[in-house]
Amino acid sequence: MLLLFVLVFGLVGWRLVDLQVVDAEELADRGVRQRARTIELPARRGRVYDREGDVLVTSVDSATIYADPRAYRPGEAPDGTEKPAAAHAADVAEVLAPLVGRDVADLREALERDAHFVYLARQLDWSLGERIMALELPGIGLLTEPRRVYPAGPLAGQILGFTGIDGAGLHGLELQHDGILHGTPGQLVMEGAPGGLAIASGPRELQPPVAGTDLVLTIDREIQSAAEAAALRAVDEFDAAGASVVVLEVGTGDVLAMASEPGFDPNDIDGSVQANWRNRAVTDVFEPGSVQKALTAAAAIEEGVVAPSTPMAVADRIKVGSKTFKDSHDHPVEHIDFAEVIETSSNVGTIQVAQALGAERLDRYLRDFGYGRRLDTGFPGEAAGLLMPVESWWNTSLPTIAIGQGVAVTLLQAAHAYATIANDGVATPPRILRGTVGEDGRLTPLEPGATERIISERTATQVREMLARVVSGERGTGKTAQIAGYDVAGKTGTARKPSADARGYSGEYVASFVGFAPVDEPRIVVAVMVDEPYPIWGGVVAAPVFREVMEFALKHRRVAPTEPNASLADALSEAALQRAIADAKLEGPATAADEPASPPVGAAAGGDGDAVADP
Amino acid sequence: MSAVPAPSRRPLPRSHARRPHLRVVPEPRPRHTLRFALLYLGLAGATVFGTVSLNALAAGDAVAAHRLEQEVVTAERDYAMLVAEVARLEDPARIRAAALDLGMVPAGSVRFLVVDRTLPADGVMPDLVASDDEATDPLKPVLSVEK
Repeated sequence: MLLLFVLVFGLVGWRLVDLQVVDAEELADRGVRQRARTIELPARRGRVYDREGDVLVTSVDSATIYADPRAYRPGEAPDGTEKPAAAHAADVAEVLAPLVGRDVADLREALERDAHFVYLARQLDWSLGERIMALELPGIGLLTEPRRVYPAGPLAGQILGFTGIDGAGLHGLELQHDGILHGTPGQLVMEGAPGGLAIASGPRELQPPVAGTDLVLTIDREIQSAAEAAALRAVDEFDAAGASVVVLEVGTGDVLAMASEPGFDPNDIDGSVQANWRNRAVTDVFEPGSVQKALTAAAAIEEGVVAPSTPMAVADRIKVGSKTFKDSHDHPVEHIDFAEVIETSSNVGTIQVAQALGAERLDRYLRDFGYGRRLDTGFPGEAAGLLMPVESWWNTSLPTIAIGQGVAVTLLQAAHAYATIANDGVATPPRILRGTVGEDGRLTPLEPGATERIISERTATQVREMLARVVSGERGTGKTAQIAGYDVAGKTGTARKPSADARGYSGEYVASFVGFAPVDEPRIVVAVMVDEPYPIWGGVVAAPVFREVMEFALKHRRVAPTEPNASLADALSEAALQRAIADAKLEGPATAADEPASPPVGAAAGGDGDAVADP
Repeated sequence: MSAVPAPSRRPLPRSHARRPHLRVVPEPRPRHTLRFALLYLGLAGATVFGTVSLNALAAGDAVAAHRLEQEVVTAERDYAMLVAEVARLEDPARIRAAALDLGMVPAGSVRFLVVDRTLPADGVMPDLVASDDEATDPLKPVLSVEK
């Protein structure tokens, strides 16, 4: 009896030692493995807002549908008996195919694959994922994945760029600022019971995720939309290969809009044309043509070579070296002042002034205005433009470059140069990013770039007045840029495109217009470039786009018109008339196209300005 | 002859004087073993019961916490989707198209009322406007007081 007692206790003791000492570590680890759950906590990718705080890019949960193909083939139960397949792959494929947008045969092949996990569809709408899970199909599961969405579709698509399916930035600002947008994922280590419930008394170790930083752009969503609409209309109307528009705020260098058409929808990368991903206002260069003449004029005036009132004798052609440069039309020798040279966009007159200025000085000013170097916006693919070192200039380079050929700039560089003139000669680096928003929801503004004076305030004022004559002058080439109520300044450009093999010029043209308003206190610069339009002239093609965008931007930014109305009564009368016209249009198709036969009582058209001055 | 001091004849302490040589000691108290055992069992039972109850409560709370966490996840998902939906609906191109569908026409020339007198509320308006803007749109970050 005693022996049996000792034996039993010995066995128990031996097992106790075995469990608690010999195998203790392994058993403890196994227990932890059975209970421990590590839950990945994804970091929210930062949003992108426009300058007013309107959402341009955000992330939402999406449903990724997967399958465990083992459910569709016979298996073995834990007790060793054969387990039949939970369902037929063909039946499930038939049901799922229209929901996930895949071919039935393709889906069936995926379900019958020799694997434990197969993606069936990624990043579907969450509601669709819930519908699929409601079907309770065997072996079908749902994973939550964040998906980047661009709520306004193609709006600012080339600026914003896009991410890959794994959420990494691949293009545009998504790529440029991927480092601060993506955040840091966290994890929760806890003990859980079967079924996913946490064991309340178990340890929990939380490493919280750090959300990505939100970006606030300088872009104004409304102006961006108007710029894109105007550019798209220009492409359609003039059968152009493309059009770009840049809108800058004078003084701050804020890029209010940067549109390129044709564009693309970042929500539908697979359905887009890759060539349309480029933000062409920054990545593509063009020869500015006569737009350049404002900078040549600024350099010459600043150096004292010429003044706006300097009288000149201008023929319709001039020979430099072996090349003859001509004006756009034949004319006898004209005795005009330099301001009229710019007003009429005379190539010959501009070349005469450039020759007096000299190559070195022209080159220096162009580089000061931002030619031949990146403007450090940091935007992926930003081009530096092309301005050969002055040592490499030929004898025809000076006249060629003075009128905007043989030099290439991005549209942003052209806008930046005009913004310098508009800003009394002080260059402010353009910027797309206004600041960042942290977890406290408050803006941390970015430090503005260093400003630099390029020309004197007096010179800038004189060039502004000359450019105003281009739009408002009797012989101005940019009359189609006029905006009722506002004084506008700008310059047209029509330049031939270099041939694709970079030997000479092709038969295609680029039409452009760059300008600003109001002339006395410029607030906004708009630069327009239309690629391969018909007709080719900047004053016909690009200036109307400028007018449309500038007019919208001025009113949206609440810039008061230059010319005040005669009286408050006139303003009220015109408002009443316009309302009557609008009401008549709404009343029915019979009266929709016509103005009312007589204005309402008390209403009379009057005053062509847009401001009402308090008497 | 040796001088041996004679023993002093001091009187004994009073207590000694009172204590008798023999006395009756009280009977030792009976040990309440049974009470101790019952108390111990009671405490052990209460401890076990309390522990089990607390664990049951904790498990119940874990279920509630799990449910709440799921609700938070769902609410956050809904919020993110609503933010995207609001932004989609605010798209200027969509609003322009919807307005045109409704028969609206672009406004003509915009009128600006330029006043050259200081209005009574000029001093307080900017702050009021800024705070109202920030307070009324929870979807937007706080960008600046001048927004």
